Amino acid sequence: MFYRLSGVYHSSLISDSRMFKVPADRNLAVFLLLIGLAAPFILPSLYLNSYILPWLIWTAAALGLNLVTGWAGQLHLGYAAVMAVGAYSAIHTVRLGVPWEIALIIGGLAASVIGSLFAFAALRVKGLYLALTTLAMQFVMDWVLTHSPTISGGSHASLQAPTLALLGQQITSDAGYYYVALGWCVLVTIFMLNLKRTGLGRALVAVREKDFAAAILGVNSFYYKILAFAASSFIAGVSGALLVATFYFLAAPEQFSVNVSIQVLAMVIVGGLGSIIGSYFGVALILLVPGLVNGLVVTASEELGMQVNVETLAHIPNAVYGALIVIILMIEPLGLGKLYGNIRDYLMTWPFDQLRK
Amino acid sequence: MTTLSNKPILECTGIERRFGGIVAVTGVDLVIQRGEIFGLVGPNGSGKTTLTNAITGFYPPNEGTVRLAGKNITGTAPHKVAKLGVARTFQNLALFNGMSVLDNILLGRHIHMHPGVFRTAFYWWAARPEEVENRKIVEEVIEFLQLESIRYELVDGLPIGLKKRVELARALVAEPQMLILDEPMAGMNQEEKGYMSRFILDARDERGVSVLLIEHHMDVIIGICDRVLALNYGEMIASGIPKDVVKDPRVIEAYIGGSHG
Repeated sequence: MFYRLSGVYHSSLISDSRMFKVPADRNLAVFLLLIGLAAPFILPSLYLNSYILPWLIWTAAALGLNLVTGWAGQLHLGYAAVMAVGAYSAIHTVRLGVPWEIALIIGGLAASVIGSLFAFAALRVKGLYLALTTLAMQFVMDWVLTHSPTISGGSHASLQAPTLALLGQQITSDAGYYYVALGWCVLVTIFMLNLKRTGLGRALVAVREKDFAAAILGVNSFYYKILAFAASSFIAGVSGALLVATFYFLAAPEQFSVNVSIQVLAMVIVGGLGSIIGSYFGVALILLVPGLVNGLVVTASEELGMQVNVETLAHIPNAVYGALIVIILMIEPLGLGKLYGNIRDYLMTWPFDQLRK
Repeated sequence: MTTLSNKPILECTGIERRFGGIVAVTGVDLVIQRGEIFGLVGPNGSGKTTLTNAITGFYPPNEGTVRLAGKNITGTAPHKVAKLGVARTFQNLALFNGMSVLDNILLGRHIHMHPGVFRTAFYWWAARPEEVENRKIVEEVIEFLQLESIRYELVDGLPIGLKKRVELARALVAEPQMLILDEPMAGMNQEEKGYMSRFILDARDERGVSVLLIEHHMDVIIGICDRVLALNYGEMIASGIPKDVVKDPRVIEAYIGGSHG
C-alpha cells in the first residue's frame, strides 16, 4: 500500500541500474534530502548543531568503516586513529596557510596512506588476528599523538582549528556548519549507493565471501583489500577533519582514542554490516539514544516525584542503551538496516501479500 | 561442427604435486586441443581436483609445466590465470551468498571491466557505459542458460541444480578459452544432467570454448567427451576415446576392484 510495485517496469538496462529501482524509495530519499536542506529553518540551532550535525558527520564516518568491514569484510578496530590522522593533517595544513578545500583533501590522503598501512596487516592476517593488529595500531597512534608536541601540542593540550572557509566564504554560522556536514554526508552516501551497483562493490563482496572463488574470476584480493582500506581511510580522514572544524573546534587526542574506534564499530554493527540506511540508524542509536534516555529518565523521575541520586541517573541511560543494543542484535543480527528492510519488503506488496513469490 | 585444430589450448607435461609426504598427482601429461571436450575421470582421491588446482594456480605443481595456448603459465597466481582466459567451476559450489544471481554472474565479467574508486564516485560518466555493455553480455548468457526467471533472486536459497547452472553462467560470461568444470553434475537427477550436458555441448559449439570436464557419471563422459584421461592414485592409467577408456581393465579395476580384490 505504501510502496507500489505495480506498473514499475524497467525497459532498459540503464533504468534497471538506477540507484533506487522503486519510485517510492527514490521519492522518500528526495523527501528526506529536502527536509535535510530545510532543517536550519525548522529546528532550533541548539538541536541542529548539537545533535543533527554530529549525527551526519558520524554517519559519513560510519559509512567509511562499513566499506571496509561490511563490504570487504575486514574487521577494523583502529578507525578513530585514521580519523585523527585526517583531522590533525588537515588542521596543520590550514595553519600553514593552505585553503581548507585542499587541506581537507590532504587530510583525507594522509589518512589514506596511514590507513593503507593497516591494510598491509590485513593482507597477512584474517579475522580476530586482524582485529588485534588494527587495535595495536590504534594504540601506536594514540601514543604518537600524546607524545609528539609538534602534532597535538602534548598529552593534555588541544589544537585550535582555524575558522572553516570554503569557496572563499568564512563559515561561522550554525547553519553554515550544518550544511557542510550535510554536504559531506550526502556525498559519502551517494558514493556508497554507487558502490552497490558497480564492479568495485561486487569485487569487495566477492573478497569478503569467498576469496578463492574471487581469485578464479580474476579478482586480486590483495589489491581490493588495500583499495577498501585506502578508500575508507580517505572518508575517515575527511570526516575527522570536518568533525573538528564544525563540531569540536579543538582537536585533542582523546577525541580519537580506542573507545571511539569501538563506538564507530558498534554503530556499523548495530546499523547492519553492508547496509547504508543502517549506518544512519546505527549512528542515531549510539549517538543520540543515550541523551534521549537520560532526558526520559529525568522527566519520569520528576513526574513520579522520585528522588533519584545523580550517580544512578548517570548509569541508567547507559544500562538502557546497552540493553537496547543487545535486544536489537538478538532480534535481527544484521542490525537496524535489516529490520528496516524487512518492514519495507513487507509493505512492498501489502495488503496483497499473496502476490509475493 | 567444430574443427579440431592442431594447436593445443592446454598442455600439461610431467605434472607432480605433493602435500608433505603425500604425492597427490605425479607424471601427468595432458594435451587438450582447441574446441575439445576433454573428460577427466578417476575414483575419489585420485587427484582430479588437485590437477585442476595445479593448472589454475591454487596449488602450483612441484614439477612439470602447464602451457596455455603455448604460453607457460606454471605457478601463475589464480587471478592472473583467470585473466589469461581460464574459467572454472568448483566441486562444492563457490557462489557468493548474499548477492543476487545477476550480481554473481556479473562478477564473471570482472576481468573485462575496470572497477575503481573514481569510476564508482563518478558512476554516471565513468562506470555506467561499461556496466551496461557488460550487462548485455551477461543477459545473453542468462538467456542461453535459461536463468531469466531467477535473475534478481539471492543465490542462497536456490536448489543445487540451479546453483550449478549459475556457476556455469558465471564462468561462461568471462568468455574463457578454457573452461574447467569440476563435477558440474554432482547431485543432479537424470533430467538436470541432460540439460547440463546440452549446455556444455552448446557452449563448445556456439562459443568455441575448450572444456576440461571432471565427472563421475560415465554416461555423460561417454556421451559428450571427445577424449578421456583416467587417473588413479595420482597417476595416469588410461587415455583415449571414452568408449575404449571405460573398457580398459585398469580403469575397471580402479573403480570396482580387480578379480583378486
